[in-house]
Amino acid sequence: MKLLNKIKNARKIKSSKKTVKQVSNAKPKKQTLIKPLKELKRQDSTTAVEESKFYTGPEAPIPRRAPISWEIPTSYSKDEIIIQVRDPWWMHAYWELTASILDRLRHELGDIFNSAKRVLRVYDVSSINFDGSNAHHYFDIEVSHYANSWYIDTQGPGRSWCVDLGLKLSDGRFITIVRSNVVTMPLDGPSWQTDEEWMIPEDLFARLYGLGIGGGSSAGIKKLWKERLKREFASGAFASGGFSPVKKEKKRGFWLVVNTELIVYGATEPNAKVTVQGRPINLRADGTFTLRFALPDGKQVIPVKAVSADKIDERVITPVVTKETK
Amino acid sequence: MEKGYLCIVLHSHLPFVRHPEHEDFLEEDWLYEAITETYIPLIRVFERLSQDKVNFRITMSLTPTLTSMLQDPLLQGRYLKHINSLIELAHKEVERTRWQHEFNNLANMYLNNFYESRAIFEKYGRDLTRAFKSFQDSGNLEIITCGATHGYFPLMDVAKPSIRAQVKTAANHYEKVFGRRPRGIWLPECGFNPGDDEILKEAGIKYFFTDAHGVLHGAPRPKYGVFAPVYCKSGIACFGRDLESSKQVWSSVEGYPGDYYYREFYRDIGFDLDYDYIKPYIHPDGIRINTGIKYYRITGQTNEKHPYIPEMARNKAAEHAGNFMFNRHHQVEFLYDALGKKPLIVSPYDAELYGHWWYEGVMWLEFLMRKLAFDQDMIRMVTPSEYLAENPRNQVITPSMSSWGWKGYSEVWLQGSNDWIYRHLHHASQQMTELVKAFPDVQNGTLKRALNQALRELLLAQSSDWAFIIATGTHVSYAMQRTKEHILRFQRLYSEIKSFSIDEGWLADLEYKDNIFPDIDYRVHQ
Repeated sequence: MKLLNKIKNARKIKSSKKTVKQVSNAKPKKQTLIKPLKELKRQDSTTAVEESKFYTGPEAPIPRRAPISWEIPTSYSKDEIIIQVRDPWWMHAYWELTASILDRLRHELGDIFNSAKRVLRVYDVSSINFDGSNAHHYFDIEVSHYANSWYIDTQGPGRSWCVDLGLKLSDGRFITIVRSNVVTMPLDGPSWQTDEEWMIPEDLFARLYGLGIGGGSSAGIKKLWKERLKREFASGAFASGGFSPVKKEKKRGFWLVVNTELIVYGATEPNAKVTVQGRPINLRADGTFTLRFALPDGKQVIPVKAVSADKIDERVITPVVTKETK
Repeated sequence: MEKGYLCIVLHSHLPFVRHPEHEDFLEEDWLYEAITETYIPLIRVFERLSQDKVNFRITMSLTPTLTSMLQDPLLQGRYLKHINSLIELAHKEVERTRWQHEFNNLANMYLNNFYESRAIFEKYGRDLTRAFKSFQDSGNLEIITCGATHGYFPLMDVAKPSIRAQVKTAANHYEKVFGRRPRGIWLPECGFNPGDDEILKEAGIKYFFTDAHGVLHGAPRPKYGVFAPVYCKSGIACFGRDLESSKQVWSSVEGYPGDYYYREFYRDIGFDLDYDYIKPYIHPDGIRINTGIKYYRITGQTNEKHPYIPEMARNKAAEHAGNFMFNRHHQVEFLYDALGKKPLIVSPYDAELYGHWWYEGVMWLEFLMRKLAFDQDMIRMVTPSEYLAENPRNQVITPSMSSWGWKGYSEVWLQGSNDWIYRHLHHASQQMTELVKAFPDVQNGTLKRALNQALRELLLAQSSDWAFIIATGTHVSYAMQRTKEHILRFQRLYSEIKSFSIDEGWLADLEYKDNIFPDIDYRVHQ
């Protein structure tokens, strides 16, 4: 039985699900027409489904509620830097500094403060208790004085990091202003650690990994993971030899739809009983009625019969409507 | 004798959206649509399976925000109004399509569906949690909890007391609704950060789920891949998602939902029909919205859609259920030989995939469960608790930080459009912990009410839904406003509490509007 298939290259297939029809007679109100969903980055299908939960239509809703009368604070009067893991390679840092700490530094350092560069010093502190000087290594990122957050590419999954926000002076000194928390980046592949009690041969693990990631080929594990990240979650064959029963072919996008409707309306005495094509209809309090029908091709014979309340009088009028599409 | 297990998990979540100050509110429609298109159809499936004595097993997470909304009388009343309006529209549609045979059939189908939805809703006393509870009590459904307001835990690494508050508030709420403690949890977005399992343990929770790489990249290497759960050092079990079975259902390109005979999600009469006709049934401001009445099938990679044919779609659903089972057999047979052990296949999905996004999904699920029960014996449906009871011995691993969002980590919730949120959430979390320390044991009175409300506001601000919506872009201004509003309300409560000058009138107004978790205890935030 075919257990493993080659992973196909990802094709950017525009699924028909993603088209949105703009209705031509929508009364334009002052609202922003947001990008139709097909243009939004449809990264993978779990995101698509979760988005559909919040989908009420292609037009942006007019904000109903009064805008809040004041804004959230831009800062909280503290000196702090916090780092968070985004994925195995990137972390995000945000910080704030009070005016008083900067004033203090300016006072202590004198003129050299004015030419100092603001720097993030990123320390690799994997598996150690960091005391400020015992990092494995570090690298510096210069940041502008107006910045209060930064994405940092650590280029090393599985390592632990700590970040100082500081000043690099023109005489080479580095002054730490604030120090961050420590984070550990996840791995971007299987661990090298194996368990003696729960041993598994390398090649079987590679197959299980492939099956688990939903790819499945004899390609190396690292490659499998990277390919999963690259491709749309949907493409590729199923590892255990199952096949997709859904067939796709591509067509061009231009279209036109025209529908016709017929409105039949009239009036009689308010207490009369009226039927249209044999089916009773309701009258308004003033004896009028309006009916609306989708009008397909063909001939429609529409007997409208009104009978007086005391059942003595009766009138029938029968419009006949023919529609064709050339 | 079976050779493997299948554990299907449906994660049902909506953020807490409740606006008593407005007569109707667009974003409340998320709930009403999910009720009509997903939750009630699922309940109907469970009812039919029970009637036919099918011994099915399925696991569902019902998040605390969702159950709170399902139990809220204001929203229940509004749902009734909503479904009645749909019934009226469907009646009109039956009339309007009198001369279009294929659409007329569909209009009647929707009319019947809406009547049935209303009947089920009333049957359970307007509280659908009772329906789910009854299937849990009968042993077929295992209901698990989730973060109280679906806060994303990996980005609360510097705010552990908030994680504790999310978990404990959720567990206490679950107990009130379902009459027992939760055994399992669906981590919001499967967001796992090593060490968070200790917090789960404190709340008495026994297991959680991660995406496949959470287990596969765990240390040491898992002997059985994702095909058996692992224990964290804390003793809490971790189940890894099987991507292969997931992909067959999730994918709109290759998976079942893209089949040309299935119903087209975007062709709704709310957009298709003449504006003047449809106006009473769309948003009062005149914006066209989904009604739920859709007449077309996917047809192909084209904008020219053809009418939906229910019988053909139904046949497809049955065929696809058979195909799914066939593929699982292949999978199980291979794994049983390769592993020397019965593999467990864990297939989690967003519940809204079934019925709402993929209209025939609920039918597919019913076909699948019947086939599994009657047409074969190689695979047994199982809940995580059952599996652990029968297979108590598992490898100990530290799973990797991971999520089931795009790219597998935290990028969806931490990117240019939404990364500004976290300094506010973290700061507020610190302040909440500070309040708990300052007032360790307030028993009653205005102060207690204020402290409890402060925690409510913080939890509501922490919903990962806001960051998600801001990143993906459909109701951005709403999500931004919710985030800012809850942070501002929290900040004001904080300063009023610290200065002993609580504005009682304003507090009462907050308690009326943000009324989630009436029995919340602020002391869980530490």
